Amino acid sequence: MYHIDGSDFLKTPYYQKVGSVCPECLQKIQAEIYEEDDEIWMRKTCSEHGDFKDKISSSAKYYKWTHYKTDEWGFDKDGEPNPPDCEATDPRGCPYNCGLCPEHLSTCSLALIDLTNRCNFNCNFCYANIEKSGYLVEPSLEDLERVIIFFRSKPIPPPAVMFTGGEPTVRKDFAEICALAKKHGFKEIIVATNGYGFQQKKGGLEWTKKVYEAGLDTLYLQFDGINDITYEKTRGIKNLMAYKERVIENCRKADLTSIVLVATIAKGVTDIEVGNIIQYAIDNIDVVRGITFQPVALCGRITAEEAQDLRITNADVIKEIDKQTGGKISIDSAWYPLSTIVEWGRIIAYLADVEPVEFTCHPDCGFATYLVIDPDTNEMVPIMDYFDPFKIIEFANKFWPKIKHKEKEPIKLFENLLGDFGKTLDKGVNWLDKQQLRARFLLAMMQYTKKPGKLMEMFTRVLMDGNWESISAFTHGTLLISSMHFQDAYNMNLERVKRCIVHFGIAMPDGSVKEISFCTMNTFYRPDIEKLVAKQLTEKMRNEFDTSKGMKAEEIKHDIAHNGGELEED
Amino acid sequence: MSQNEYTDPKTGMKIRKLTELKPTAAQEYQEAILHRVDHFSQQRDSKFNSFVENTVVGTLKALLELKVKVDDILGDNKEKVYDITEKLLLLGL
Repeated sequence: MYHIDGSDFLKTPYYQKVGSVCPECLQKIQAEIYEEDDEIWMRKTCSEHGDFKDKISSSAKYYKWTHYKTDEWGFDKDGEPNPPDCEATDPRGCPYNCGLCPEHLSTCSLALIDLTNRCNFNCNFCYANIEKSGYLVEPSLEDLERVIIFFRSKPIPPPAVMFTGGEPTVRKDFAEICALAKKHGFKEIIVATNGYGFQQKKGGLEWTKKVYEAGLDTLYLQFDGINDITYEKTRGIKNLMAYKERVIENCRKADLTSIVLVATIAKGVTDIEVGNIIQYAIDNIDVVRGITFQPVALCGRITAEEAQDLRITNADVIKEIDKQTGGKISIDSAWYPLSTIVEWGRIIAYLADVEPVEFTCHPDCGFATYLVIDPDTNEMVPIMDYFDPFKIIEFANKFWPKIKHKEKEPIKLFENLLGDFGKTLDKGVNWLDKQQLRARFLLAMMQYTKKPGKLMEMFTRVLMDGNWESISAFTHGTLLISSMHFQDAYNMNLERVKRCIVHFGIAMPDGSVKEISFCTMNTFYRPDIEKLVAKQLTEKMRNEFDTSKGMKAEEIKHDIAHNGGELEED
Repeated sequence: MSQNEYTDPKTGMKIRKLTELKPTAAQEYQEAILHRVDHFSQQRDSKFNSFVENTVVGTLKALLELKVKVDDILGDNKEKVYDITEKLLLLGL
């Protein structure tokens, strides 16, 4: 596998001590990560609640590769954090000071904003739902603008925002919210949705066109598989595949051609569908840009036995993909931690004068690969067949340390001698310097490229100026597959928390905005914060949806009327 | 039901065979890129309408095609040539 084969690191059993929390009382405790039977496990003991053990990775070899370090390699990257928003007042330290505190090591690359906890579904594992909480959390447009401005005014602002919920598209002002985010400079506006607004039988297409025109770029579409029975198990609703297909069709007609299928993977429930989902994406490649597999996070209190029954790790997902794709997307060669491209991304951002996107998350957080259909063979191949990724990354890792000082200290040859005229001359010198660096980097990238073609043309444009157009066109010729494993109290590693790059923004009642990393928000903070900003539910809100059907209650009444007073069985 | 889809008699689940790609899939990918390029090209200040960038991309495309042919000729010596080039590209930084 990769460059770890034959190394002493692979032969030595893995062992590391990390900070974690007790799943019962959420107090900080030490945990050990260790190797056992070719798997990686975490064990920890709370003096009050006893022993806990949880699987971290079902492949010790893959896990060890992602933690292997050489002089030129390593996936544990130093982040460039924004200045902290608060002082660390709790002496226990991370994760009890979120908001963000000085211990945080990475900047935010994806901002999350909850629009509502209303939803037309009532999934049993979901943490954000009025049915369960008994209150409404729905920030006003003014509150949302405050959060958007907060994120975009950071020294290193996140380029993308994702609206989450509940179901964000149940909001009547959803188009206005998208326009607001675009107005304040977010490059990519994403909605995490089950598809509600887009699939509506009456007016769904018009609604899709409207939100696209308002600035929505991408749907993170909840997509657990292609079988109705799978949705019955995960969402408790019958015949959902037709609903999902209406979303795809309306997006296609509205020219909204960027859908990422998001599958929550639970052992024995949705793991059987991973190959199906990949093939479905390929069949709809004109509108589907990627797939994100999310091994289920165990938020809420369950027994250790239940946790082990449900637990599935990133390695399980990529093994399953390997199996279900007949080895075409192999665990041995196709997958890289997201942090792989940190230096490469910084070089592109510096040379192209664009905002950097920092993927300095922990190596355990997520893996990704790009798939391409090779025009010569018509075979689906990982993009690694087009490049030599090792050599490209190795070169970037050598190149960036040699040029990074130029980002902060531009050349000043003439300024001291000639004053303002010297400044103008120095600008010219710096421009020339950047051109020669671009030429060097482009030539190195070309050296390790194996095949020409339209895809490579787009890649060349990404290297030349890294602007959003070129990145977007490049991604339209590829399928990005990733596996993101969010943490819960059972497997929490505080090193991961400190490096989290996906942050919630919440408008607080006192006029401030809190920025909280994804995993700590759901494990520690959500209930308390929501109670602070909660509004009272009305009867109308409670009865808005029939959550066993995923439809508006009034639509169902209409259907019954059409069906001679009988509820039609699907 | 898609051509590449069958129902597992044991579980009743629909399964799509990934190993049987549609013969037109590569074409569809290409069209997806071109559609996106068209979308951007309609905007007045698009980089896809930049004469300079299009010329550079065209030149690099030709160079890349040439480089792939040279790689074939170099065979096993390719790695040595790559090492030398890399050192040159990092020289003086």
